[in-house]
Amino acid sequence: MAEEPMLEAKGIVKYLGEGAGRVQALKGVNLDLMPGELTLLMGPSGSGKTTLLSILGCILTPNAGSLRLARNEASGLSAEGLADLRRKHVGFVFQSYNLVPTLTATENVMLALDLRGSGMSRAGALAAEALRQVGLSHRAHAMPSKMSGGEKQRVAIARALAGSPSVILADEPTAALDSENGKGVMALLAEVAKERSRAILVVTHDHRTLTYADRLIRIEDGKIVGRARARKLVKGSGSAGRAH
Amino acid sequence: MQQQVANAAAAAPMGRPIPMVTKLAYRNLFHDRMSLVVTLVGIVFSVVLIAVQFGLYIGSEVRIVAMLDQTKGDLWVVPYATKSFDDPNYLEGKEKYGVLSTPGIANVEELAVNLVAWRRPNGGITAALLVGSDTSTNKALPWDLVEGSIEALRAPDAVAVDRTYFGELGVNKIGDRAEINGISVTVAAVTDNIRSFTTLPYIFANITLARQLLGIAPDQSTYAVVDVAAGTSIEDARKALAQRLPDTEVLTLQEFRKRSTDRWLFETGAGAALITGAALGLIVGVVIVAQTLYSSTKDHLNEFATLRALGAPASYIIKVILMQATLSALIGYVLGIALSLVVIWASRGDPSLLIIMTPNLAMLLFVLTVGMCIFAAVCAIFKVIRIDPAVVFSR
Repeated sequence: MAEEPMLEAKGIVKYLGEGAGRVQALKGVNLDLMPGELTLLMGPSGSGKTTLLSILGCILTPNAGSLRLARNEASGLSAEGLADLRRKHVGFVFQSYNLVPTLTATENVMLALDLRGSGMSRAGALAAEALRQVGLSHRAHAMPSKMSGGEKQRVAIARALAGSPSVILADEPTAALDSENGKGVMALLAEVAKERSRAILVVTHDHRTLTYADRLIRIEDGKIVGRARARKLVKGSGSAGRAH
Repeated sequence: MQQQVANAAAAAPMGRPIPMVTKLAYRNLFHDRMSLVVTLVGIVFSVVLIAVQFGLYIGSEVRIVAMLDQTKGDLWVVPYATKSFDDPNYLEGKEKYGVLSTPGIANVEELAVNLVAWRRPNGGITAALLVGSDTSTNKALPWDLVEGSIEALRAPDAVAVDRTYFGELGVNKIGDRAEINGISVTVAAVTDNIRSFTTLPYIFANITLARQLLGIAPDQSTYAVVDVAAGTSIEDARKALAQRLPDTEVLTLQEFRKRSTDRWLFETGAGAALITGAALGLIVGVVIVAQTLYSSTKDHLNEFATLRALGAPASYIIKVILMQATLSALIGYVLGIALSLVVIWASRGDPSLLIIMTPNLAMLLFVLTVGMCIFAAVCAIFKVIRIDPAVVFSR
């Protein structure tokens, strides 16, 4: 029996801007994210990657098309309904980390858990476990200003992981990192994707991330122009395309 | 992993952890110290200004009704259209007997009150308000004697003055002599800080001497202060007295208090000025807090957008802003009330200023401060709930 996608987008159309400046950013995009897979979304600047990511994360609403997230229909929901959906089912990793600068690593993770309604004691324990998973237990009480870029991104991943979301959406997670930290972050995301309940989509320009992907989707001019399984992407890669 | 979480939860320190909303609000507040200082200065300024204005208002009220509160009495028979205790006229006379013959009346005492000319021993005349009472009863005036006694006022020419008026009256000790309306009097007692709202000095005397000094008949007076007998309703007694004494007004103590305070605080505009001052303090506080809270919210807009992107409902973000406002209010209130008490303490040296802080005023100030800060948060809330969470991808 075929596995059900964690996220299913059909015929997504999105217009941006008003009047003469109105442009069609997405032109009928179909996309599925399967549990246990790390999918890369690649494309040139202005191709609609970020717009698509925003729609898949229930931050923007499409002008046409439908979106199902963990068996929940997102179409037609109010702003608060969408917020509820992403709070319960989506974890985000941002290019600029977007940690709250006045909170420690643990508190940043706890904040995401608090939004989900976890009690503070339980949130503390879950945050500690999430930080352990990303190898940052020793930096649990560090403020973001005292962390390296790689550490901040790992805290962001811990924050995304902590609530056990169905889908993790990462926007250029390696863009602000050096090569070593970039590899570390991608390896971590690939590791997280192994858990069958998670589907991960990484928007990236970074070709070094290909080795960590299960699938690649190319988008250009608001349309999906290519899809490929990982083993076809990386020449000489190991089994399942995650040779690293 | 579940087991690890359970273990970690079990190992977590006991005690109630600080809610995340409070922690975030507190950290945002203390993140920019200068902004916090400006906010607190605004709140403290506002609290002190409102405290002083309302404290002066209460002080004025206390001075206006001091004679009424001291004399007590359930009912006051006053000349028709009397506006306040300090704005007296005379009853026609014999009202005392009319009162006493009314059923349900336990006791009545008369007061003779009016303006007099006080001639200072070393020359010069100043206006004063003479208050004559029966010094042998429980309604004898004055009170707060620091020299001499009530009994001393029974001497034929004895008067009491307040020591804060020594300079104006040209006397400074018991035994000093002066003239009232051309009749010689002797200072036989001294009170402490019994001052009038109008700043006119009070002169106290036995009612017999007062009638003589005022030049009124031996049965004439200004007010008849009535005690209603136990078991009789004050309202019933009032109606009965009003019927028996048609050319007077019969007021309850509360009615006379209100009439006196209305006269001096509202008809003269003095109270309106004090309330306007307090309102200005409130407005200044709102503007400063609104400005700094809005600025702080703008500074943290990216964090709020991230929270929104992570799925925070608008109510969660509103709670953070309101918590910031409330924390500012609490800190500002504590500092403001402390500074207000210092100002009140420092003002004790000036007898013309009476600023009073009561528990009710402190409570009112607390409510006003928190309300002011929450109201000031409205602009910041409007800003933050309009955040487009999509901005988190554009940086």
